[in-house]
Amino acid sequence: MISRIFISQFRMGLKLYVRRPAAIFWMMAFPLLMLVGLGTVFSGSADTGIKLVWAQQDALSSSDQALQQALKELGVTVEKITPDQAAQRWQNGKLPVMLEKVNNQTSLRVNSYLAGQGMPVVALVQQGFLMTQARARGAGELARIPMVMESPGGHHDGPYAAYLLPGLLGLNLLMMGVFSICMVDVDFRVKGIYKRLATTPLPRHIYLAAQMSVRLVVVILTAVVLMLVGAVLFGIHNQGSYLALFGLILLGTACFASMGYLLASFASTVEAANGIANLIFLPLMMLSGVYFSLDSAPEWLQKASDFTPLTPLLKALRAVFNDGAVLATQAPSIMIISVWTVVLFIFATRRFRWV
Amino acid sequence: MTDLAIEAKELHKSFGKVHAVRGLNLKVQRGEIFGLLGPNGAGKTTSLEMLEGLVQPDSGEIRLLGLDWRAAGNDIRNRIGVQFQSTQLDEKIKVREVLEMYSKYYDKPRRVDDLLQLLQLEEKADAYQLKLSGGQRQRLALGLALVNDPELVFLDEPTTGLDPQARQSFWDLVRHLKNEGRTVLITTHYMDEAEALCDQIGIMDHGQILQLGTPRELIASLNQPSYAEIEFQGSAPDAHAFVAKIGMPVDVKPQHWMVALHDPKRDLQHVLACIESLNLPMQQLHVRRASLEDVFLQRTGRSLRE
Repeated sequence: MISRIFISQFRMGLKLYVRRPAAIFWMMAFPLLMLVGLGTVFSGSADTGIKLVWAQQDALSSSDQALQQALKELGVTVEKITPDQAAQRWQNGKLPVMLEKVNNQTSLRVNSYLAGQGMPVVALVQQGFLMTQARARGAGELARIPMVMESPGGHHDGPYAAYLLPGLLGLNLLMMGVFSICMVDVDFRVKGIYKRLATTPLPRHIYLAAQMSVRLVVVILTAVVLMLVGAVLFGIHNQGSYLALFGLILLGTACFASMGYLLASFASTVEAANGIANLIFLPLMMLSGVYFSLDSAPEWLQKASDFTPLTPLLKALRAVFNDGAVLATQAPSIMIISVWTVVLFIFATRRFRWV
Repeated sequence: MTDLAIEAKELHKSFGKVHAVRGLNLKVQRGEIFGLLGPNGAGKTTSLEMLEGLVQPDSGEIRLLGLDWRAAGNDIRNRIGVQFQSTQLDEKIKVREVLEMYSKYYDKPRRVDDLLQLLQLEEKADAYQLKLSGGQRQRLALGLALVNDPELVFLDEPTTGLDPQARQSFWDLVRHLKNEGRTVLITTHYMDEAEALCDQIGIMDHGQILQLGTPRELIASLNQPSYAEIEFQGSAPDAHAFVAKIGMPVDVKPQHWMVALHDPKRDLQHVLACIESLNLPMQQLHVRRASLEDVFLQRTGRSLRE
């Protein structure tokens, strides 16, 4: 009989879910819009290769020509523009470094804000200068350490959309928890919809299990559609096993649905629920690596973020989806998510009340 | 098996400083319709929620069908039906769907088609519940209370806000429940409803039952079978002379006066004689029999419909 109740609650839950257009939008259309929108807007490939802007008016002197040759050998792409154009782009803060003529002397100008990008170019230019000097003296080729520049591959390569897609899967799970579950739960309780159920023999845990199962179906559907659109529009494909993805999504659903119910148990009004939901949602969304990696954030923040439930989930999702990793390699992340899930689940089910 | 469907002893419940229920005692026989009659704020809903197992009493005992809530909660839930004053359901759930969903909670549910027929909701079976009229929604709520073929049914002010026809329809359904052998506990602030439906009535105010009895017993306890209501065009004149002359208690109101008649035939003649001799501008005279409203007024000093 328990399974009969579960199946009936599950089917009814699905039917009712589909009848709410707002829910469908936020859970399914929103991630799609984000993928298509952000993926398209940020589709410009990252600058690969070393580029140097050279402000030149007149013809190049012979020493300049030698430098240009040396730079070419070193793999530096030189872009020649007029001093006026160079001044313009410099003012706009877009040039990390440029070569120009000051007092008839070829000199380097480096943007202090973009020093990180500028200095490698500077090193190569200095190298090129030494090479021309050595050649001019007839001293033979300058010995140097071989250098090769390439992308590490995986999600560091490829379009932004590929990085974003697993992030949106995680975001979907987070939103499911704090909005679809938490807000609706408080709303139902405040309206008194649960009160009627309290007079029936419906067990609370069956109700919760059915609700979580409904959300699982929705999340999986969303993931499938996201991946389809990702493949068609951006040529992104799952590099790992679909089973592994499903396992992570299943774990994530249990985790964030539990979180939703637990948060809801602390709110006695819809306004309070809204506050609690956003208090958790905004930091997690911004600092878990949904839209951008936290690689350049301070160490302490990265460490802290690694122990929240969403960051390890996204790490694991990206490892599978972008890098084709096997779940076993993600054991540490999966451990952290699992601990969160168990703790959140226990407290959520303990605190859930009809009234 | 006990004869008592409901037994409540010395129930107390406070919310902060408000002592909502102060020593409620109740005995409801199997198969009877029991009414808790009282105005808003009397403590009816709180009492009902304690009996329904939704609220824990601060003190006192409850036995439903001989069972205790703490020991046999699910057993009780399987055998009772509950209708709230206003039942909140998911907006977009359909009538048939909600009845079917609820019926799955129970071991031996009734057939949903039979219920739809009983409730006269067959045409609305596939309508969203929020599209129902007030009367239809209350019938649906009653249906939810009946899915499990309950022995005991709780109805909280079920006809509040319904038009007269909807109320009559609902009353027919409640009488039908009794014919089927079920026990019904109904709370209401409508005197006519209590009189029409109930075998026993408990008059309730300020968290206590003030008087218990059949409608007839309660009215007889007034010792005043009838009332004469004297109506005037516009406002009533000064009553002093009339009160002095008539020698009976008069309830003086701005628009009308009320005189209780112990012996209707004799007292009525006396009233008319006084009016005649004082040449009062009486426009109408109603003589009505005593009602539960009068019982309530006498017991509590206030009207049921405050």
